[in-house]
Amino acid sequence: MRRAIVTTEAATLDWIAGLTAAAPVYFPQAGPAGGLRFDPVTDRSALKFDGYRPTILPPGKAFAPVDEVLFDFVHLADGSFRATPVLDTRPRVLAGVRPCDVCAIELMDRVNREGTPDPHYLARREATTIIAYRCAKPCSDRCFCGAVGSLDSDEGADIFLTPLPLGDADAPARVLAEARSDAGEELLAALDGDAVADPQALVAAHRAARPEPFGRQLPGSTDDLPDALTRSEKAELWRDHTAKCLSCGTCNLVCPTCYCFDTHDEVDLADPDVGRRCRDWDSCMLNDFAVVADGHDFRRDIAMRQSHRVRRKFQYLNQKLNTQPFCVGCGRCGAQCTVDIDIFDIASDVLRQFGPPTEEGAAS
Amino acid sequence: MSAAHDTHEAAFVPRPARIIEVTPFTDRERFYRLALDRPLGHRPGQFVMLSVLGIGEAPISISCGPREDNILEMVIREIGSLTQVIAKRSVGDVLGIRGPFGSGFDLADFEGRDVLFVCGGLGLAPLRSLILPVLAERERYGKITIISGCRAPDAELYRDELRAWSDLDGVDVIRLVDNTHHQPWDGKVGLVTKPIADLDIDPSRLTAALCGPPVMYKFVVMALAARGVQPDQIFVDLERRMRCGLGKCGHCQINDAYCCVDGPVFRLSDLERLPEAL
Repeated sequence: MRRAIVTTEAATLDWIAGLTAAAPVYFPQAGPAGGLRFDPVTDRSALKFDGYRPTILPPGKAFAPVDEVLFDFVHLADGSFRATPVLDTRPRVLAGVRPCDVCAIELMDRVNREGTPDPHYLARREATTIIAYRCAKPCSDRCFCGAVGSLDSDEGADIFLTPLPLGDADAPARVLAEARSDAGEELLAALDGDAVADPQALVAAHRAARPEPFGRQLPGSTDDLPDALTRSEKAELWRDHTAKCLSCGTCNLVCPTCYCFDTHDEVDLADPDVGRRCRDWDSCMLNDFAVVADGHDFRRDIAMRQSHRVRRKFQYLNQKLNTQPFCVGCGRCGAQCTVDIDIFDIASDVLRQFGPPTEEGAAS
Repeated sequence: MSAAHDTHEAAFVPRPARIIEVTPFTDRERFYRLALDRPLGHRPGQFVMLSVLGIGEAPISISCGPREDNILEMVIREIGSLTQVIAKRSVGDVLGIRGPFGSGFDLADFEGRDVLFVCGGLGLAPLRSLILPVLAERERYGKITIISGCRAPDAELYRDELRAWSDLDGVDVIRLVDNTHHQPWDGKVGLVTKPIADLDIDPSRLTAALCGPPVMYKFVVMALAARGVQPDQIFVDLERRMRCGLGKCGHCQINDAYCCVDGPVFRLSDLERLPEAL
């Protein structure tokens, strides 16, 4: 059986800070403007579990960073070239990753292993150890992880930390720590605690103490969304939900399961025969995303692009890979949208208007 | 070349391809023959990602039929930032190639059938990768009709080959321009849909392959449907923006299908569930 212990929250944070001796550790910490970001740990006193609000960028972006280089190249004297893939295999730890983001990383792993594997994503991913932290309460009023099945994610992390209900208000906060992989086992060896024979009972106690319902709830099942989305194809709701949309692409950039990309080349100004091909995050909401060389745009209006984005999250990718929805309910796209368009509201309207009849629907 | 190219580590890394022939076709399209480090091993209808390192990468259709040597043929239209740079390259220069990518055509779908090719403009370039192997084994197929249309007489691609094909037994080549623009022209005038109405077609024997500008497909499909050609006997070769060829970058997505992996060649009857396709 994998190691499972109960210890205090303070000892757990001490341990996380101590892991920096072996590899960089990223943990959600307040930046200069006060917002949380997954930054490298340098100071134990900056670490805490409570007061978590969603980071603007999800932690999984570490596997496809914004300044990514795919390969370096050199033009040779004979006119040919030499190109060498750049693979980042430096070990690192992502700690304090919430269940929605663990779920998103698990889904991104599927995408990047599917078909031709993406070597650049996988190199970073396989060199990374993930320490997840389960949520005892919704992290924001945008959260709807409980409605899309990511709240109880139980895969994808090397270690799961579960905050335990407080028995006594004066007692120190306690955490269940469970190793889930060899890499997790290795790290967890350095954390002392009381061994636990039945960790599932403690996880169940944690779940029982959570508010119910947990976060926002959809007016139907996500299982009904693929068919409802197909039926909604020409619906007015897409115009309604994009009337204010600026097509800025922010929703894509902050989404933990958006991974569309563009590429560009850079050359060294001091030696233009040396350069690199870089990968950039792209956005299916931008107005030139599906434009081909002669100018034809295959998704020319915002409503078509919005529908495409939502169908990727709730229909296309999950059906193709036989997974849960790719929207993990983190609420980031709605929170960061410059004009307050929320994918939760869109999915809700699709279910209300095109889902199977419900009691709510029958009554209205 | 290096072993790295045989592993998934090099998924995004192009290999060198030296230009051994450049023939101008029109004022903005040129025919290129490239020599690779090893045979490409492609099927008709597949494409490659073509690079100039330091400039960028774009998808380009393969224009030659399957071959055992290391030669690759393509037609490149000077239209974007990359192709403008390629237009300045000449014999001896080296480009980068990844691929081949995509589903392509399966010759078995055409064997024993009358075959109709409908080519609009640059669409002749990818369809030539299917036309050549079909003509090479003429006896395996029924009647062959090639409809090729372009904007104007001076926009015609492969003009010598089109004429040579029309001299072959059992091969009918119909060449059209939208408008002669007062240039000499020995073909017909009109859109590629026009001759379909008058073709001698037995819909139970015919299989069609289409490639052209985005606006062309719906109208050709309607014209073929009017002649009784069944949707499962029509193959379309579609164009989309592409950045990877691996079903990852998202640009070429058509509903839940990836044009670069699931296409670019689709059976029309499979597109009913992909309303974004045509």
